[in-house]
Amino acid sequence: MISVNRMPGVASLALVLGLQIGSAGSVLADEPWAERTQALGASEDMPTGVLPKDELLRLIDTGKALFEAHFTTLDGVGRPQATQAIDPTRRKHPREQVFFRTAGPDAGSCAACHNQPAIGGAGDFVANVFASEGFESADFDSLDPQFSSERGTNHLFGAGLVELLAREMSAELQAIRGDVLSQARAGGAAVRLPLEAKGVEFGYISAEPDGSVNLDELDGVDTDLVIRPFTQKGVMTSLRQFSINALNQHHGMQASERFGARWTGSDDFDGDGKTAEISSADVSALVSWQATLPAPVRMVPEAAGWAEAAERGEASFTDFGCTVCHRPALPLETLSFADPGPFDLAGTLNDGQVGAKAVYDISLLNWAKDLPRDAEGRVLVPLFGDLKRHVMTDNQIDALGNELLSQRFVDRNIFQTAELWGVGSTQPYGHRNDFSTLNEIILAHGGNGREARDAYAAAPDAEKSALIAFLKTLVIVP
Amino acid sequence: MMKMSSLLSFSAIWLTALSLPVTAQAQAQTDFTADVPILQEEAANAGINQSYTGGWEFFVGGGAASFDCNGDRLPDLVIAGGSSPAQFYVNESQTGGALAFKTLDTGLEAEDLTGILGAYPLDIDNDRHMDLVLLRLGRNLVLKGGADCKFEKANRSFSIDGGRAWSTAMSAIWEKGNEFPTIAIGNYVDRSAPGTPFGTCEPNQLLRSRPGETPDYSEPLTLEPGYCALSVLFTDWNRTGRPDLRITNDRQYYRGGEEQLWDMAEGRAPRLYSSSQGWQRLTIWGMGIAETDFDADGLPEYALTSMGDTKIQKLDDEAGEDRPTYRDIAFEKGATAHRPYTGGDAKPSTGWHSQFADINNDTKTDLFIAKGNVQAMPDFASFDPDNLLLGGFDDSFHEKGMEAGIALNTRGRGAIVEDFNMDGMLDLFVVNREHPASLFRNLGAATDWGHRALGNWVKIELDNGKINPAAVGSLISVRTGTRTQTRRIQVGGGHASGQTGFVHVGLGVSERATIRVQWPDGEWSHPYRVFANQHVRIIRGEANARYWYPVAQ
Repeated sequence: MISVNRMPGVASLALVLGLQIGSAGSVLADEPWAERTQALGASEDMPTGVLPKDELLRLIDTGKALFEAHFTTLDGVGRPQATQAIDPTRRKHPREQVFFRTAGPDAGSCAACHNQPAIGGAGDFVANVFASEGFESADFDSLDPQFSSERGTNHLFGAGLVELLAREMSAELQAIRGDVLSQARAGGAAVRLPLEAKGVEFGYISAEPDGSVNLDELDGVDTDLVIRPFTQKGVMTSLRQFSINALNQHHGMQASERFGARWTGSDDFDGDGKTAEISSADVSALVSWQATLPAPVRMVPEAAGWAEAAERGEASFTDFGCTVCHRPALPLETLSFADPGPFDLAGTLNDGQVGAKAVYDISLLNWAKDLPRDAEGRVLVPLFGDLKRHVMTDNQIDALGNELLSQRFVDRNIFQTAELWGVGSTQPYGHRNDFSTLNEIILAHGGNGREARDAYAAAPDAEKSALIAFLKTLVIVP
Repeated sequence: MMKMSSLLSFSAIWLTALSLPVTAQAQAQTDFTADVPILQEEAANAGINQSYTGGWEFFVGGGAASFDCNGDRLPDLVIAGGSSPAQFYVNESQTGGALAFKTLDTGLEAEDLTGILGAYPLDIDNDRHMDLVLLRLGRNLVLKGGADCKFEKANRSFSIDGGRAWSTAMSAIWEKGNEFPTIAIGNYVDRSAPGTPFGTCEPNQLLRSRPGETPDYSEPLTLEPGYCALSVLFTDWNRTGRPDLRITNDRQYYRGGEEQLWDMAEGRAPRLYSSSQGWQRLTIWGMGIAETDFDADGLPEYALTSMGDTKIQKLDDEAGEDRPTYRDIAFEKGATAHRPYTGGDAKPSTGWHSQFADINNDTKTDLFIAKGNVQAMPDFASFDPDNLLLGGFDDSFHEKGMEAGIALNTRGRGAIVEDFNMDGMLDLFVVNREHPASLFRNLGAATDWGHRALGNWVKIELDNGKINPAAVGSLISVRTGTRTQTRRIQVGGGHASGQTGFVHVGLGVSERATIRVQWPDGEWSHPYRVFANQHVRIIRGEANARYWYPVAQ
């Protein structure tokens, strides 16, 4: 009797387990308690056209849910057979663990790191990540900088404006390239022109009458004259590209538009048993949320003397020469954020890879109404940056030269000017998040920042203090 | 090439070929997930109207040369006409737009341009203007190129006699220490020999310039025996840095012949590799040679077109070092392409021009083969469309000619795979026998809203300096992530067709690449870092690569 009674029980259990294992994604996926991310696939198709505000807000909500989600193995978290590389790359040996602190995946959620002072923000030192190309040393299990570069987590507030600025600057630089080529061809002689976009100088470009371009004198920008405004190095073109890279590196969630069968021959390139983990519509939702995060603001704490100090500090900020790189604002022509964008290359969708792109009108959002504008109606994006890369070390001051690896053709001591908006909400500082005070990170500026740093160092303590007071007014208010 | 159809022995080969690869081909159709480029035929609209015509002497040949003759870096064309005069076309295509060519009147006599079977561009005198070697039925013609597509006959000034043979193939290389190129001319049947055409193959020729300030080829060498060559190629098959000469021959007319590999060792006359050295006898209706290096190990693979099976030869790992012993991997790679893939004609195919390239920019090597009945041979497919064998991520080839739109009812001969409108996507030009040439524009991949661009790419032009400025013989190594792709700059091979200009490499999803060059003298360059979707110029001695841009429209 016992055995007779048990057998059906075992069979039933097996049946249940079979159902769970075999089709958990479909049978149980819609249950409120299902161990998967409900927001995945919530957007069936990529959005197109100019989105009305209600549609935009719905898309943003989906994007936020994805950003906050804790991806699970039922979603496809983990990449046992793929490395963190941006180019789809097979791992030499499959990995058993889902998470791995150094080479990744190192987080179940975007928000696990981007959370200071709110979701989408920066991360403390504990949220540092390890940047490695993932080709030759994909399995590094050491914190030794010869294998990876340890980086702090940047905040994403105002990121949509940053990408729009970068697009406009790229277009300006490429237009200059067109001009110099036209002039050289028309005149039958070499022509050299300064490269400047939104008042930021990027060196010179020279063209020969035969259509050749000499790139030896470029400064702080890639040779294709695309401003890549994201990451500490300034090596990522768009939020879309950044999202796809990060989803793979940090979560092992592989977007089809990079890791799918079109480019790899497999719908499950990472070999975790889950196909088509992140659709292009999912990426669009993530981009929409990040692109519409409000810009950081200035806010003076209600403490005696702070306002006056901040005012003096702002003047000093200019006087010391900080604004040479940390430009207080850059003018932006349009608040229409197109996704996919114009400058991504295959592997990240661009506007030539889709039938119709979506346009998110940032001006529909309440926070955008408070953005300052100039007399021409252009938005003055108060980012305190120049979207340009600079050498940050010299023979005396080399604290920011601690990395041993170059990244994507950018030498190890070169970084993009950190945008200082929100700096009051995102300590610690520096690309490794290992400067606990603003004073320390200022004094760590060598190379192109040396002159301003020395001016600061030589200033009276009161003036330094005022500068700190000013910087601390640049905060994120979610 | 085969003219006659009495081939009992061949029928056995044919049957074998038919029975074996079908499974492989059927399987190959199932798993291809990369982009299939849509190749739109637009020769007439592009202004090209040239047919390759003539009697049985022109059953073979039918080539074209692609090179820049006016300094704008757009590939211009010279197209053989057989019994009709060759035509010159200047490329006026808009970047990324419809293909457009304009007929060029060179001022040359129609008589000089008649009887041409093939054409290869080569800067013989190092003046940075491409010269042309026109292979003829009779005296080969060498044209010295000048500015703005000016050409003048240069047989006399270069002391090239041109001979009286039926020339069908050509290759060139700058041998070590030489200022001017060494040119190999492949010849076909000696029509004046007793018993012709069978067993009367004309010897081939090797032209080395005498030392001096100007090219002087007044003392040609004879490469004998000749076995009716239809394609020749200088190739560094064993990565020694010294190319040897590979010749594919047409078994239809030779007696006791085979494929050939000439040892071009310095300081002695060329001599054939023998069986004791590892060279294995292979007899095919050899029509064209294409070279690639699938795994970038420096040991190239070769596609040999024939009647029936295409061969893909890979150096046999077990044969021992420096032994030219090859095994045929065409079957395992799904690339035998032995009969038409559409149209219902089950008879074997006739392959001519072959060329490796990445036509869909996915980083995997693709293979184009021009196909077409010799004339009206009843034992061979009459409707015999050109092949577009796309390399898959399973490392096999997948036939996509039908889907791409190149399965036309023409008899293909020579061809050029080239980016004619400078958009980074390779287009295709095919010379057809007794039919206007085909010009296919690569539109990208089809979608429900139109065509989308293919993967990323980079195109590379080398400048080697005063001697051999186009860097013939150089090896270009392109690294993205863990993948290395190589391209060898060669003059020769294919079927009577040659090209110069930017070298195209598909990059897939890679946003940037690191390029190193092994220059013709063997010296390796430092790495050049470049971004994708750029025309790159690498000038020897310069620290950074330059980019090049077409005229803005």
